[in-house]
Amino acid sequence: MSLDPADHQALFGAFLSPHGRVSGPRGHLVRAARLDGPAALAGRRVGLLWNTKLNAELLLVELGRLLMEQYDAVVTARQAPYAHAVPLDGPDLHSLIDSCDVALVGVGDCGSCAAAAINDGITLERHGIPAAVICSDAFDVTARATAEVQGDPDYPFLTTPHPIAVLSEGQVVRRAAQLLPEVVARLVEEAS
Amino acid sequence: MSAPGLGIVHQAVEYAYEQDWSDGLPVVPATRELTDAFLATTDRDPDEVIGRLEPLRREVTVETAAINAVMAGCRPEYFPVVLAAWDALLLDPTTAVGAWQSTSGPAPLIVVNGPVRERLGINGGGGALGPGFRANATIARAIGLLVRNGLGVRPQVFEQATQGIPGRWAMCVAENEEESPWEPLSVDGGLAPGSDAVSAMLLRDTEFVDNRHTADPEKLLADIADTLGRTGALIFEHAAAGLVLCPEHAQLLARAGMGKDDVRRWLADHTRRSVDDLRAVGKNGLTERGGRGVRVDRPDEQRAGADPVFETDTAQHLPILVAGARNAGISSVVRLFTSWSRISARVETAAEVPGPLMLVESEEEL
Repeated sequence: MSLDPADHQALFGAFLSPHGRVSGPRGHLVRAARLDGPAALAGRRVGLLWNTKLNAELLLVELGRLLMEQYDAVVTARQAPYAHAVPLDGPDLHSLIDSCDVALVGVGDCGSCAAAAINDGITLERHGIPAAVICSDAFDVTARATAEVQGDPDYPFLTTPHPIAVLSEGQVVRRAAQLLPEVVARLVEEAS
Repeated sequence: MSAPGLGIVHQAVEYAYEQDWSDGLPVVPATRELTDAFLATTDRDPDEVIGRLEPLRREVTVETAAINAVMAGCRPEYFPVVLAAWDALLLDPTTAVGAWQSTSGPAPLIVVNGPVRERLGINGGGGALGPGFRANATIARAIGLLVRNGLGVRPQVFEQATQGIPGRWAMCVAENEEESPWEPLSVDGGLAPGSDAVSAMLLRDTEFVDNRHTADPEKLLADIADTLGRTGALIFEHAAAGLVLCPEHAQLLARAGMGKDDVRRWLADHTRRSVDDLRAVGKNGLTERGGRGVRVDRPDEQRAGADPVFETDTAQHLPILVAGARNAGISSVVRLFTSWSRISARVETAAEVPGPLMLVESEEEL
């Protein structure tokens, strides 16, 4: 015996859904305005928000260095490592917002920190800070699902090939150089 | 060929699969009546929020828990234990921020103490960590469905376990208090002896220590320490692990005059790894990537000197319980995701417990 979906609904629609409920309002789709071309990076303060994942700090610091060297940006905030899975909030968030014009966030390289990196990127955008979020490509699905939960399903983030944690210092530096054009593009593109 | 009318049961099970409500096994679809029978076993408000996962913007209530407990196959009278297990798990702060999403895919170990074990038939004897007992299987599964359905942490989306752990959402045991020589785990968790209580910790694995070879307590402990200290399991400077001792091992240790604190002290003192051991497996922290090893090699450090794997010998980092049959010397080391909260949750049942429920009176109820 088989029933079509409409019959199922009629018969079984009274079953209770086991889903939890959405807590708090879903954020509006707000993204920060982008800088007006790469030249506009000159003199801009770049905030770095790295997590405790291996090589995250090295990668972001190197990207910051490249932005200083090649675009005359200034790295002002090197946010101390924060718990890798806790979304940025409170004084940490505000001190970062107050001290930068653009931000680099990463590396989303674990189940919960990929989600946290996307959360933080979207939070920064909503506070007017254009952000380039970097995730490992092994966490693409998690990162996209997080953006969806945050009400910005198409939020653009950068991916870099997995794994990152086992790269040597030289490999991380090369990885940063490869990512640089995409990072710049994320910071200067037109606001959606 | 099927009995007339029973096809509807299979259709209901299939419907639940279509809704993506299942962990892979069939679920019992939750009707209003059945869910209300569960809610009647507790005095807690069905709308009380009992868990929230901020990064996913999801929260669950007592009623969400009841619906998932129905679906897991629990009986209504198990529900206060499900709620206590959930409360006990939430005392581990990682459950609010990332444990359920972790690549390590940690599995709750739910331990029940007190007379409720017998009332509900929760097994703590032979096969305590294995299958075969409805209360054990469904209470653990209810927690899993609550995380999956309630909080929305589904495999390969928000749940990112690299391989997962056998026994995830399947480990609920009663402590074998009758054959344990020591005070129950819930006493370490701060409750009076004899309390109906649930303790919970997140595990990364269970690993057997089979020692039917010695009556010497120190040799038995040395065997356990060897398992506790293996390098593959070490990812930080210090570790935390529990022991699920079989009655035979626990009694052997107790006969030698050891209490749980003595066992912990011995193990914390004797479970060691040298920097050389760690260097051999690339975990000495001296690589060109910088000092993020299990233990950072320092020039003044004695290379052959062995450092303790456990920072302290507290019940938080080395919880001990007794479970299983008294038929062999087989115990388990369970490695903890972080550490045990060391707080047990009391099982609270409604002041007026309803009478036995006829679960399904007739097919027409569907």
